[in-house]
Amino acid sequence: MKFEQPFNIANIPGPKMALVLEKGKPVAGMIKRAKRPLLIVGPDLTDAMFERVLKFVDKGVQVVATGGVIKRFIKAGYKADKIKTAVLHELANFLVDPEWKGFDGKGNYDLVLMIGSTYYYGSQVLSAIKNFAPHVRAISIDRYYHPNAAMSFGNLWRKEEEYLKLLDEILAEL
Amino acid sequence: MFEIGKGVFVDELRNVSIRIKEIEEEEILEEVGPTPKPGILELRKWDHKLLERYEPFYAPVQDFCNLCTMGPCDLSFNKKGACGIDLRTAKARLVTIACCIGSASHTAHARHIVDHLIEQLGEDFPIDLGGEVNIKAPIIKTVIGIEPKTLGDLRKALEWVEKEIVKVLHSTHIGNEESYIDYESKSMHVSMADHVGMEVADIAQIVAFNFPKAEPNTPLVPTGFGIIDRSKPVIVVVGHNVMYSRPIVEVLEKQGKIDAFEIAGLCCTAHDIVRTNSKAKIFGPISYQLRVIRAGIPDVVVSDEQCIRADLLEACKKLGIPLIATSDAAARGLPDANDWSVEKIVESLISGKLPGVFLSDPEKVGIVAPIVAEAIFNKNGKNRKYRFFASDDEFRAEVSKCTQCMNCVFACPHNLRVDLGMAAAKRGEIRKLASLEEQCLACGKCEQVCPKNIKIINAIMFANFEKLYNKTGRTRVGRGPIQDTEIRKVGQPIVFGQIPGVIAAVGCINFPDEMKSIREILEEFLRRKFIVVTSGCHAMEIGMIKDEEGLTLYEKYPGLFDAGGLVNVGSCVANSHIAGAAIKIANIFAQRKLRGNYAEIADYILNRVGAVGFSWGPYSHKAASIATGFNRLGVPVVVGPHGVKYRRAYIGKPWKREKWWVYDIKSRQKVFIEPAPDCLLVAVETKEEAIVQLARLCIRPNDTAQGRQIKLTHYIELHKKYYGDLPDDWHLYVRTESDLPLKMREELLKVLEEVHGWKIDWNRRKILEGPIRSYDAGFNPTIVEEVYEKYVR
Repeated sequence: MKFEQPFNIANIPGPKMALVLEKGKPVAGMIKRAKRPLLIVGPDLTDAMFERVLKFVDKGVQVVATGGVIKRFIKAGYKADKIKTAVLHELANFLVDPEWKGFDGKGNYDLVLMIGSTYYYGSQVLSAIKNFAPHVRAISIDRYYHPNAAMSFGNLWRKEEEYLKLLDEILAEL
Repeated sequence: MFEIGKGVFVDELRNVSIRIKEIEEEEILEEVGPTPKPGILELRKWDHKLLERYEPFYAPVQDFCNLCTMGPCDLSFNKKGACGIDLRTAKARLVTIACCIGSASHTAHARHIVDHLIEQLGEDFPIDLGGEVNIKAPIIKTVIGIEPKTLGDLRKALEWVEKEIVKVLHSTHIGNEESYIDYESKSMHVSMADHVGMEVADIAQIVAFNFPKAEPNTPLVPTGFGIIDRSKPVIVVVGHNVMYSRPIVEVLEKQGKIDAFEIAGLCCTAHDIVRTNSKAKIFGPISYQLRVIRAGIPDVVVSDEQCIRADLLEACKKLGIPLIATSDAAARGLPDANDWSVEKIVESLISGKLPGVFLSDPEKVGIVAPIVAEAIFNKNGKNRKYRFFASDDEFRAEVSKCTQCMNCVFACPHNLRVDLGMAAAKRGEIRKLASLEEQCLACGKCEQVCPKNIKIINAIMFANFEKLYNKTGRTRVGRGPIQDTEIRKVGQPIVFGQIPGVIAAVGCINFPDEMKSIREILEEFLRRKFIVVTSGCHAMEIGMIKDEEGLTLYEKYPGLFDAGGLVNVGSCVANSHIAGAAIKIANIFAQRKLRGNYAEIADYILNRVGAVGFSWGPYSHKAASIATGFNRLGVPVVVGPHGVKYRRAYIGKPWKREKWWVYDIKSRQKVFIEPAPDCLLVAVETKEEAIVQLARLCIRPNDTAQGRQIKLTHYIELHKKYYGDLPDDWHLYVRTESDLPLKMREELLKVLEEVHGWKIDWNRRKILEGPIRSYDAGFNPTIVEEVYEKYVR
């Protein structure tokens, strides 16, 4: 098993830290197997990342925009009713409650993917999901290693091509 | 002592002085409410009501506990540790401990001041906050049930606070509480006590040190890095308790030398030194401590307590700046010089035999500091100030040591790309490195991990020196309380909603982005005629950010507690006046009685007063207890993204309809209501999110139709401006067509019909079906059964 250092070096949550994902394909498999996947998109995105995020929307993955990134979707011509908006802290509180019926009233989500959240803020949200939402599996597909996710890509923020390739691998399988 | 017996006339008592020890409230204007001097349990029911609706949400920083020797225990996935505590309860306990620390900090400050002042002025020294402030201590009155008239009364309030802190701290010992909800109740309790402690501290210093007494138009004082006349000796005071450094100003005034020195402060002592004397100046918050010291500006540093760097002595030592530590909370390993002669102290510091001394006698500090400052200033050839490096060559040599290992980036709280800045600076291009200064907290973690020991902070500051030097503006001196007359004027428009809200920007500087964002956020609300109140580090940050015309917010907006006003109340402990203003609204406008009547007042505020706390960069334990104290009082608080690391939030679930109800005293019914406010404590990620969230959280169930219309207009406009579209939840706040923003009424009615399935009578433009509840002008909400019983009769 590959070892990775948290992007913020002292962010060592405890005995349970995320498995490092080295391929995109298993993520696609998890999305396909999930009954209710949700992609949480934060504001820390490069253009190339955002381009890929839009492809997730095109492939029918429910996306929720946090941190005001909804404006970017609207500018890109994506209607607001297709993309949901939330404050990530509030959304996390909903996700940990098994009774939440989701944005569409059909039930809580069983797989949460995260990309683009402010690192330390997203890390705490993942910690809440990890510890208090056994019904949700959280996967970080961000360019930083997130120890509080169940699984996470490694620290790839300096290797953009390698990272985007992983996102493309996921998209190719969906 | 003798007793006056029957048949003794007063005119027979000659040469007898009578001292009445204590009169139990001689001027009883109000009967005491149900909870004077509450213990842990008296307000537990109120807390449980809040926590039922605003469920605690935990985001652990660590999934383990190592507070006792049976551990460390793995608590991940909410497992239990050796003592039986699960992760959720362990985090609630940790938050309670943080609130105890915060509460103890303000209370110790109050204790230092009150004891010192009683020793000097006597316990009968009167509390006079000026002619416009008759309700002098609204928090003390509401919580404890007394209206303090003297310093001695303040000491009585303090005794209650100290007792409660001890009791709550006790509950955090291993083997006590097992309910996370009850820990939250305790954290609310100790944080309410914190607000009392803050009120005691600030009232004491206002009356004894002659600070401004609720005056809206206090002087504007220079603020920022470049405020110092480098041809003068500089005395820098740092911390939160001005008691120790205030005599410096007095001594210099007395000697007629005040203009020959520069006296400037860091952190809240800066606020309070300018409240003492407006010839003093404000450097900035904790992030300016290393900026100021590394630049060689001080000739002597006087430290007191709280939020001072734990390596202050080391930082001063490197520059040969003598340090005088004054508070027993931070003696810094220095020798106790209280019994030494002034000459001996001065000689030890000037000669460099000692890097600093511990001197807690304020009067001696007042004498020693100027002598030392002048001597050090002369010793350094009057030529040390504002230098991060001796020359450009030295700077270049320093940055050229960088190997781009990136350890600094991984350690930085904001993961700033120091490596890229250094690489560019090596090539002679300093713009990238300079731009980091805007976000740099100057915490120094980067230097700790740099294998080449590069002075990274100095390099960043040097690169941006000109801008940093010119980031200098003016702060309006903290005014202390809000006048009763101001409350009388704004009480009704706040409660009815015509003044759309009160935004209280308080707390620390762990901002997620450039410091100018705090100005952008607050100006959005000032332009929209909200009332903006500020204190502490936020208040000084906005004093150094200027617009294109060179004006700070203080120079653009008046200091009145009124629509469009920007009120700086003062230092951290002056936050009590913000809570006090909310309480006074309930009393002055609504005639609700205060004495020992906390739950009723908090219930009033929760349902009617559209005030929201805002802390864009909270980091301290004090910020945790201040926020939690506001929460218990029914005031929601929005924090910046770092605030998520406090581990706990109070976030409601609007989709759980059964949680959103009130008793309507008028209709005598339990009524389901809109989720307003829908959070008590929430962390947002970006400034856009902060603005929208603040506007939304000003909505209250009691808003009149006109008030709701105004509040919804701001919420929708801001959402459209920053998010590009209508919010998802705006319809929840609509009770009647009159609640809708005028300009958008037609469009919004269509959305209600088409998207939300509401029934609309288009001939009359009326809503027929759809809202959670209908609007009733006489609606009189409460969630407290006792309040309902009291007023329904």
